[in-house]
Amino acid sequence: MNSLRWQEIETVLQDALDRPPLERASFIEDVCAGDDELKTEATTLIAAYEEAGDFIEQPALARDAHVLLGEVVDGAGREIGPYRIVERLGAGGMGEVYLAHDTRLSRLVALKLLPVYFASDEARLRRFQSEARAASALNHPNILTIYEVGEHDGVYFIATEFIDGKTLGELMKAQELSLAEILNCIEQVASALGVAHAAGIVHRDIKPDNIMRRHDGLMKILDFGIAKLLETQTPDDLYETAAVRTHTEAGLVLGTVNYMSPEQARGLAVDERTDIWSLGVVLYEMLAKRLPFTGATRMDTMVAILDREPARLAEVAHEHLASAPVLQTILDKCLCKEISDRYRHVGELLADLKTAREQIAGLARSVVETPSSSWLPRRWVSPVIGIVLLLAIAVAGTVIYNRSVAGRLPDEFRAVESRATKLYSQMNERERLDFVAEQEQRISSMMGERSVKLDEKAIRVIKAHVDWYAARVGSSDNAETSATTATYERAVPYVPLIARSFAARKVPVIIGIYLPVIESAYKPCYESPLGAKGLYQFLPSTAQIYGVSRDEMCDAEKMTAAAAHYVADHMAELGEDAQSVTLVLISYNRGAQWVRDSLRKVRGTNNYSRDFWTLLANRDALDEPFRTETARYVPSFFAAAIVGENPQVFGLRIAPLSTLAEPGS
Amino acid sequence: MKTATADNLTALLVEWREGDQAALDRLMPLVYDQLRRIAHRYVQREREGHTLQTSALVNEAYLRLADQQVVWQNRAHFFAVTARVMRHILIDHARRRRYAKHGGEARQVPLEEASTMSLERAAELIALEEALAELAKLDQRKSQVVELRYFGGLSLEETAEVLHISLMTVRRDWRAAKAWLYRSLRDSE
Repeated sequence: MNSLRWQEIETVLQDALDRPPLERASFIEDVCAGDDELKTEATTLIAAYEEAGDFIEQPALARDAHVLLGEVVDGAGREIGPYRIVERLGAGGMGEVYLAHDTRLSRLVALKLLPVYFASDEARLRRFQSEARAASALNHPNILTIYEVGEHDGVYFIATEFIDGKTLGELMKAQELSLAEILNCIEQVASALGVAHAAGIVHRDIKPDNIMRRHDGLMKILDFGIAKLLETQTPDDLYETAAVRTHTEAGLVLGTVNYMSPEQARGLAVDERTDIWSLGVVLYEMLAKRLPFTGATRMDTMVAILDREPARLAEVAHEHLASAPVLQTILDKCLCKEISDRYRHVGELLADLKTAREQIAGLARSVVETPSSSWLPRRWVSPVIGIVLLLAIAVAGTVIYNRSVAGRLPDEFRAVESRATKLYSQMNERERLDFVAEQEQRISSMMGERSVKLDEKAIRVIKAHVDWYAARVGSSDNAETSATTATYERAVPYVPLIARSFAARKVPVIIGIYLPVIESAYKPCYESPLGAKGLYQFLPSTAQIYGVSRDEMCDAEKMTAAAAHYVADHMAELGEDAQSVTLVLISYNRGAQWVRDSLRKVRGTNNYSRDFWTLLANRDALDEPFRTETARYVPSFFAAAIVGENPQVFGLRIAPLSTLAEPGS
Repeated sequence: MKTATADNLTALLVEWREGDQAALDRLMPLVYDQLRRIAHRYVQREREGHTLQTSALVNEAYLRLADQQVVWQNRAHFFAVTARVMRHILIDHARRRRYAKHGGEARQVPLEEASTMSLERAAELIALEEALAELAKLDQRKSQVVELRYFGGLSLEETAEVLHISLMTVRRDWRAAKAWLYRSLRDSE
């Protein structure tokens, strides 16, 4: 067979395939009359096609991914930067752990390789890195020392001190622990937690597998801050939330839920008292040799955590209780469902653990009725809190940072217009139409008073997005709401700066607001309390083109000016009209070339009235990246802008967009 | 060790597009590294009962290798390279697998590597490779469609983008190639 003959055959094959199966044979018979070879070829190919089923329909990778992994999951001898793997120690929810030799310092380290699942999510990775660095600053004999957090050739790793010992989980299985030993373990862990908490770091995943005992009896807490990786915090993450939840429910990432606090089980914010709860569970387990909260499924366990009281020590560990009656009080104060009734900090717990030790030793003067309440002398509390806050702001906590921003909002942004409007989702059809008309007007004015006429399809798109946004933001108090709120709040202090800078370049201020809001949501600011990195996520090379050096990337003033300059350039290039404004927003992320290409496509469709919503309404004509990425969050911004007129409804502390400076003002 | 940077990826893609075959050789290790990571995720998610779109993963590999500084048209070429690399790796592996079975001594296949592919699968891949090479002689474009779709994991739409042909053409090429390859494999059994 040659190419020409094949073309002939293919023509018959294609024509036959275009016909219903039952007609194919007779079609081939007709068309191949007198050419038996052609007929045989076509017939056998048709038969093959009909038989083929899902032959090669699944990409090879689906079957053969394992082949590619042959060299990934290997062990001994593999080198990761300066570390040479000696042997595999085990695997946890957070990755494989290897014993490795640090060739620079000639010492053994435990090398944890992060699962690719985590490493592929940049926001998560940054969070992890900042958390791990914060944790590595903790210097306490009972906290596993982190030597290095790094990446080599795409593999993310944490090198820590190598502990020759057993995890508490292994220890409990392997041997009987005396009450004195149990208390000693818990005290060591608690005192390490105290140091971490004072530095603003919550472990979040205290459990026997994360606690080790060295052969000399020294306890070590592992994996500080790492559990935070598993949480979704940024709006960008929300799109993955379902997947993450599935993981969680399936028990594949989070592992056990037995040590989870009620607030964790409910998905609420956690603080140091979560660690206290979990440590209480560990203590209970060590004393009673059974878990306080269990269930047949993870769900049942969580229900038990939320609703049930564990069996009293008198029933499950009366011999321990007899030696140290304060134990029940300790457990009660650790395992209070209500977070505010729990020990406020580990200092209080440590004091009671000391009492327990004294009771065992027969030194107790009497049974302590009220557990001691302070771990630090009162006069120290205030400065300590101050230092903790500073540390937390400087080092890690996005959450704490957000709170502090809320506290220093400029007065003009505190006073927001409290016009009582209904939520979009609560409006009737008539009100919705009016609302959309009003928004049309507003979008026009946002776009610099140029007329924007929305077609019906675009209006439907707007409505859908506003509904989506309102439902998400207006729904009950959950992580999603607080993420959105936090994002806005983070941008707000910079609004005057943005307004000045953008107005000076005759760029609509609204874009200036958009960029920090969306960009910081997209890649939250972890590293700088100034927030500039969160405000404008320039790539270093782009930033440099606009005169911002790497060192200056945390300087909000410089970055804002650069962003205004960057946007002005794009607008000049794309043309100064409503369309270009919306497209600048998109090009900011996708690149100008992509915008040009997309426009070319969408111009081929009807009803393109030159604005973002119609662009979105016509997204079928656009590229995959638009549908999967930009189309998600650019509209949320517009939806947010629309509902932003009445921010209090959504708990957003942001000035009505219409009152912000207009270009040139 | 080499690190994939946007700069050298772009440069290599451009060189390759302009006909420098040596550029492909230098691209391979960069892409291979990404592919292995993709595969890792793939297997991991699979174990957890998720199905992942290969296409999404390849896109992700590109985004991670490239970044926004890379000229967008090169995406297509990246996909082409990915598919080529994937094909190369799998076929190479299948051949070594079969060679090991036939008692070859030139290269010992490590146990864990050998165990990752069944002999049946190795035979199937080699047969497919041979049929694909035959198809390429008759109809180069169809063999490319198969390479991109089957080894590269690309969707029909992406395949159309890479080859600068219409979606309809891809669909037609695909079904014809599938019939041709299936017949060829069945007959070779």
